[in-house]
Order: sequence, then C-alpha cells, then structure tokens
Amino acid sequence: MTDTATPRIVIDHVTKEFVSREGERALALADVSFNVGANEFVSIVGRSGCGKTTLLNMVAGLLKPSSGRVLVNNRPVEKPGPDRGMVFQQAALFPWLTAIDNIEFGPRNQGVPKAERRRQAQALIELVRLSGFENKYPHELSGGMQQRVAIARALATDPEILLMDEPFGALDELTRSQMQDELLRIWEASRKTVLLVTHSIFEALFLSDRIIILSPHPGRLRKEVKVDLPRPRQRTSKEFLEYYEEVHNAIF
Amino acid sequence: MQSSRAGRRRLPGSVGDALIGLATIAVLLALWEIAVQAGALNDYYFPPPSKLARSLVTLTTTGFPRGVTVFSHIGATLMRILLGYALATVIAIPLGLVIGSNDRLYQAVNPIIIFARSVATISLLPLAVAWFGVGEISRVFLIAYGCSWIILTNTIHGVRVVDPRLLRAAEVLGTSRRDMFYRVVLPASLPRIFAGMKVALGLAFLVIVAVEMIGTVEGLGALIMEARTFYRTDTTIVGMVIISLFGFLLSKFLDRAERALLPWAAGLEEVER
Repeated sequence: MTDTATPRIVIDHVTKEFVSREGERALALADVSFNVGANEFVSIVGRSGCGKTTLLNMVAGLLKPSSGRVLVNNRPVEKPGPDRGMVFQQAALFPWLTAIDNIEFGPRNQGVPKAERRRQAQALIELVRLSGFENKYPHELSGGMQQRVAIARALATDPEILLMDEPFGALDELTRSQMQDELLRIWEASRKTVLLVTHSIFEALFLSDRIIILSPHPGRLRKEVKVDLPRPRQRTSKEFLEYYEEVHNAIF
Repeated sequence: MQSSRAGRRRLPGSVGDALIGLATIAVLLALWEIAVQAGALNDYYFPPPSKLARSLVTLTTTGFPRGVTVFSHIGATLMRILLGYALATVIAIPLGLVIGSNDRLYQAVNPIIIFARSVATISLLPLAVAWFGVGEISRVFLIAYGCSWIILTNTIHGVRVVDPRLLRAAEVLGTSRRDMFYRVVLPASLPRIFAGMKVALGLAFLVIVAVEMIGTVEGLGALIMEARTFYRTDTTIVGMVIISLFGFLLSKFLDRAERALLPWAAGLEEVER
C-alpha cells in the first residue's frame, strides 16, 4: 500500500524567515524535517501561525526555504511543476472558463491535443461526480461543487503529488464531511501522494496515514502520529476518539 | 445562497414594473398638459406635450433649421459619438493593457494619467479648435479624448488588480509568462474594461452637446443651441429628449453585449463584495 521507504517528499531541516518591507523579520518555520512516502496520505495540523501553508507552498514551488532543503523525488524543488497538483482553500477557479475548461487548463499548458484533453477531463468530471455540470461557469456552482472542480483541475496533469491547502475550510460542515468521503474515494481510485493542510483534527484523522503536528511561532515539528485504523474510519469509534485525544493534546 | 440569487434575478414581473413606470410618466405628461391649458404653467417655459409633438412633426418634415431634419441631426450626432468612441477604445484598451502589465511604465506615466484625466474635456474646446479648426475633427477629437482616459484607467486597473489567487493557481498549473497574460490577466480584466467602456459612453453623450454648440447646424447639440436662439423651447426639449433616448438605448445595448460576451461575469459582483 503506502511506501514510506522511498520518500516522495523530503522536508530536510527547513527554516523559513519572512522579511517585511519595513525590514522586520518573522520566523515562520524553524528547522522542520519529515518525509512523505509514495502514495501516502499525510496531513499537517497546527494552530494559526504554525507555518503549515508556508510549508505546503514550498513543496509547491511557490516559495523557497531560507535554509534547509525541500526535495520531491530526490530533486530540490525550484518552481511549480506538473508532478505536483494543488488545491486551495478558495477553489480559485477561472471564472471565465466552464468547469470542464477549468479542468483542461493544465493539460492545455502542456500542449495536450484538444480531443485528448477533453476525453481526460470528461473522465475527471465523472470521477468527481459532476456529470451534467461540465459546461457550467464557476458562479453557477455551489461551494462544494467548485471545490470538486478544483480537485479535478489539480488531478488533470496526472501529478504524483496532490497538495491541498485547507481545501474544505470554506465549506459548511455537512458538505465538508461529504467532501472528505469523496476525497478518500478519489485518493483510493487515483493513488496519489497527498499532503493536506487542515485546521480540523477530525478531518486529518479521518483521511490520513500520518499526521504531522506543528507548534506555532515559529513553526516547529511537535509530533508525528501514525493513524493505524482501517478505512473507512468511523468518526465516532472508540479508537478514533482516542487518536483525537492524542492529537488534541499534542496541539495544546 | 441559491434563493437570494434567484430573488435578485429579473423575473417576468419586470414587464409589470415597466408598465407601472410608463403609466406614471403618462400621468405626469397629462397633468403637465392640463396645467398649461388651464394657464397654471407658462407655455413658453414649460411647452406642453402637445406642443412638443407638433415640434417633433415639424422636425421630421421641414426640419429645423429649415431643410435639416431630425434624422440628419441624429445621424450627425451618432456618427461623431461612434467615431470618437471607437477611436478611444482602439487606442486606450491596448495602451492600458501595456501600461497595466508593466510596473515601471505604470509608475512613470501614472501622474500624467491622473492629471490628464482630471482635465474637464470641454475646457479643451478652444485648444481643439486652435489645433484642428471648427470642423468635425475637433468634435471627434474631444469625444475621443474624454472617453480615452476613462477606458485607459479602467483597463490599467483591471490588469493590475487580478485576483492573486488566480495567478497562483495558474502558476501551479505551469502557465508560461505569455499564457499568463493572454489566458489569465486579459480575461480577468475584461469586466472592468467593459465597465470603463460603459462610463465612457455616458461621457460621450455629455461632451457631444457641448462640442456641437459651435461651428455647425447639424447634430442634436446644434439643434438645441439653434432652437434656443430662436426662442423655441419646445424644439430644445425635443432635442434633449432624443439625445437622452439614444444615450439610454446605446447603454442598454452595451449591457446586452456584455451579458452576451461575458456570461461568466454575471455572478462576479456578488462574489467580489
């Protein structure tokens, strides 16, 4: 199943310092190290200011570490690439493109021929269960549907790694738990390596093989918790709640 | 969410709304007519609807001044507006795209733009006449001038305030610099460019009246001015109403065009607020 022996992502003694325009320095991450194995589902949890989004952006190639290394497939990350798909908290769909055209955006950048693109995008529409909505514009879709399109768009370049920055944070609770089920199904169908940033302990426990807990100001690795529960997980089982207690106590 | 959106959409009931509006206007016109007939309002200062109707008939047949019918006035005015407006669009949009996507250039020219935009277009009339004479070129120039700055500033703004989340999403999807402009920045700025074009059209209708007041007897602005000289308040009002009508129709046309060309921008306003 998951293969932790050959890490897909290596975070190696990563420190990130931001310097504001006024010259003030802020340490976002201090000496954080961990690995993510191939096909592994890893979540990063922590309170605001623990640098979890910063960390994700570095893996995406949107930011560079001040010191330390971020490796993907043993190569330092220089810039964004088709091997890493990303889903943001706000779906960030292109409002002038229909759902299916949004999904085709990445493949089009790569020069995939039109017919081929459309075929793949149609398959992704079915994967995220949006058949019948492919020609709708983002403003015609609900928040949950927009996020499904965003997931499909991130998967369209067939990346090995899916990076998710609080993808369901802006959704209501019911939609959110539905989307967690969906994500699990999609992950099992596509077998990507997933690195998910979330505020929700429940979400992390429900989805992940492993949870990385960061403490804030500056972000430091506090604890790693391996979640040894078969899927699909019962959100109210005794074992689940024991894990909840463990993660909760590590954060606070 | 769903219900509030549906509630705001214009329902078939808007036909009823329009009828109420038209009925109100009809009642007011009737009251006006009665007030003048009864001697409560002066027939020179407030020419009643019946007199306006007669004036319109004269305008369409013999014309005012004699031989220049209302159709020539409308034709001349629309031609000037469309020429100036088209010129402004063709110049200001590409220029705005270039300035907006280049920080240095933007900083360099922004003070000039702020100043030039603040110049009241009509105040340039004497200068335009000195440059281009009292002919058509001056009129078209002034309309183009006024419209250009509005379209230019809106285009620049549209390019510069593209949602950074969209830029980041595009970056992660491996978008090249070229595509970043053509496939992200340009489409993202279209709603604001359109907004600028709508405001500019309104300005064109303000400017036209003033620029037609000298050197010509053709055009709705000229008609208004000429009628005033001959104490024909009725004709002045008819000219005024016709200008307003065309201003209204053209701005409606732009609204329609926007909805047809940018169907995706429909829900954008509520999202942005």
